[in-house]
Amino acid sequence: MSTFEQPPITRIRRARVRNRESFVAALPWIGPVLILIFGVVVFPAAYMIYNSTRRISQAGTNIEGVGFANFSRVLADPNLPRILLNTVVWVTVVVTLTVILSLALASFLNKPFPGRTLVRMAVVVPWAASVVMTTTVFYYGLDRDYGIMNTFLVDIGILDSPYGFTKNVTAALGAAIVVGIFVSIPFTTYTLLAGLQAVPADILEAAKMDGAGRVRTYFLVILPQLRSALAVAVLINVINVFNNLPILRIMTGSIPGYDADTLMTYIFKVLQFDRRLDLASALSVLNFAIVIVIVAAYVKIVKPMKED
Amino acid sequence: MKSTTRTTMMAMAAIGTLAVSSCGFGGDTSAGSEGDTTIDMLVPSYSDDTRALWEGVIEDFEAANEGVTVDLQIESWENLESVLQTKIQAGEAPEIYNGGAFSAFASEGLLYPAEDVASADTLDDFQESFAVNESFEGTQYALPLLASARALFYNQDLFDAAGVEAPPTTWEEMHDAAEKITATGTPGYGMPLGSEEAQGEALIWFAGNGGGFGDESTITVDTPENLEAAEFMKQMITDGLTQPDPGATQRTPMLNVFLQGRIGMVYALPQTVGQIEEANPDLNYGIANVPTNTGEPATLGVADRLMAFRNDESKQEAITSFMDFFFADDQYVDWVQTEGFLPTTKSGAEAMASDETLQPFLEMLPAAEFYPTSNPAWNATDGAFKSLMGLLETQDPASVLEQIQARADAAS
Repeated sequence: MSTFEQPPITRIRRARVRNRESFVAALPWIGPVLILIFGVVVFPAAYMIYNSTRRISQAGTNIEGVGFANFSRVLADPNLPRILLNTVVWVTVVVTLTVILSLALASFLNKPFPGRTLVRMAVVVPWAASVVMTTTVFYYGLDRDYGIMNTFLVDIGILDSPYGFTKNVTAALGAAIVVGIFVSIPFTTYTLLAGLQAVPADILEAAKMDGAGRVRTYFLVILPQLRSALAVAVLINVINVFNNLPILRIMTGSIPGYDADTLMTYIFKVLQFDRRLDLASALSVLNFAIVIVIVAAYVKIVKPMKED
Repeated sequence: MKSTTRTTMMAMAAIGTLAVSSCGFGGDTSAGSEGDTTIDMLVPSYSDDTRALWEGVIEDFEAANEGVTVDLQIESWENLESVLQTKIQAGEAPEIYNGGAFSAFASEGLLYPAEDVASADTLDDFQESFAVNESFEGTQYALPLLASARALFYNQDLFDAAGVEAPPTTWEEMHDAAEKITATGTPGYGMPLGSEEAQGEALIWFAGNGGGFGDESTITVDTPENLEAAEFMKQMITDGLTQPDPGATQRTPMLNVFLQGRIGMVYALPQTVGQIEEANPDLNYGIANVPTNTGEPATLGVADRLMAFRNDESKQEAITSFMDFFFADDQYVDWVQTEGFLPTTKSGAEAMASDETLQPFLEMLPAAEFYPTSNPAWNATDGAFKSLMGLLETQDPASVLEQIQARADAAS
């Protein structure tokens, strides 16, 4: 009798049941991913936060809960201001220069010229090589006693005698920045190149017909079209560079004290030399919070997801 | 064909079962005396030979002890202690561990007393002077594995070119010799204060002035003797008698430069003799006692040890048989000799007495100052030296020692 008149509530309930059924049906497919996300993201992050509120002995025994004592100790650390300043300089300089150089490189690779495929392949090389390996090559090249780059600079007369690039704060950070840019360029260039190839040809033609010069066309037509590609490139680079350990660890690792440290290398030193798992965890939570704030601010201000 | 496949699969299944039952989760099977017991072993790498040496020992041991397997894990010295710390935190401490400091573990009750994991014969064979360093609050917890001492290595050709007649015996003579060599354009003295082994270089100098790092109950870094030594080190740096950037120089790469004949003098180890033979046999060098402030002999002695973590009571027997097996003459002497260290057992010392390259180091051993490894705050002190001692290059010696002392005090 009432088969044809379904009250709305039953319909909603049916939809819910269907949703639950489809979730159960999908579980075998999404299950592994959920386990993976839980295992490699959620659980370690939660464990890190838990460790940051404990007192852990040098031997590694978890002794007692101390609330936020580790955080107040870390925040009162006299080395922290210098370390944060280094971190800001390191991230800003590497990301800015990488993006500028990559924009130029992407525009160049977008133009047809003989051997373009080869050049495009060559740009990928620093990306394909292991970061530790690339950095080690630079490190040995810059060595005072047997470094090929040092010898070269002396031979062409720029330096009077070999210089310990990796043994002085400013020079070592500078060298690390060069390596950081070198390994970040491939990804950034390719992201921007993809963006450039998506710029419709008719818009460029229209700009030409309207009498816009090359500079005006670039800044007023092409660059706005690159907005989302740029936004992705900058965001991923910021996170990547901020969390980079190998480059800085190798290039500035032998410098005593904490003048050349970023937050990442400092966490590593607290763990390796002071063996303070608890303080290192507190610093990692701080690090995590900073990244989240940067990403949130960036998403809010730049609105990379906005379509226009 | 088909039957071969089936046999292979059955064999693989059998191996798989074995592997599962012998890993840490198979608690039931390892409990019985006839079941398989697996001992996890965590050791540092002393040289390129370390892995092969331990694998040889383990192979012989497993052949002689049916049902006991030893899982070997080798880490670099840089990573060793953080790997161990992570394992302890995860409740998976290795049964046998080869390391430096042990008192922090002993004080938390993580270790077996030595008498529980080695027979009386093995314990009696250790030289008294070493066994003493293995005790914490009156109980011996570790078995001394090896010893080493530092000596002055000098480049004879550079000495001749600079007109230095004999190796220095006092700081003053050392300053003098370094000055003459530096004047010829080669750094006179190599001072590695980088994170690799700043604590070693510091203690050689401190010991040369009657100082040290303290004992099992107190860490004393900021003392008048140590300060005087640090001031002299600083003097060498400011007078330009060391290689450039001593604060950021790591020991191993610096020794390579000495091997190439481009540094006048360095402090080095018994193994350096072997390295020179291999890398640059033409190097014209000599070995002498460490120069000290007054000329009284003193040097840095290093002793490393084996200790046993208490995880699963059922493994105690297997650990004991491994220790007794390893410290027996033939295994131990071969191990220590190949690694180029000094033996800690009486029988080992007798067997190696004729070794000429070790002679100068054996002679210096009685005057050696050791790290206070039985002090629970030693780990933190060691870390503080590694990250802060290099600041001597740019900062005031008193303030550097003060900072290190503060770290040590915070940990004790």
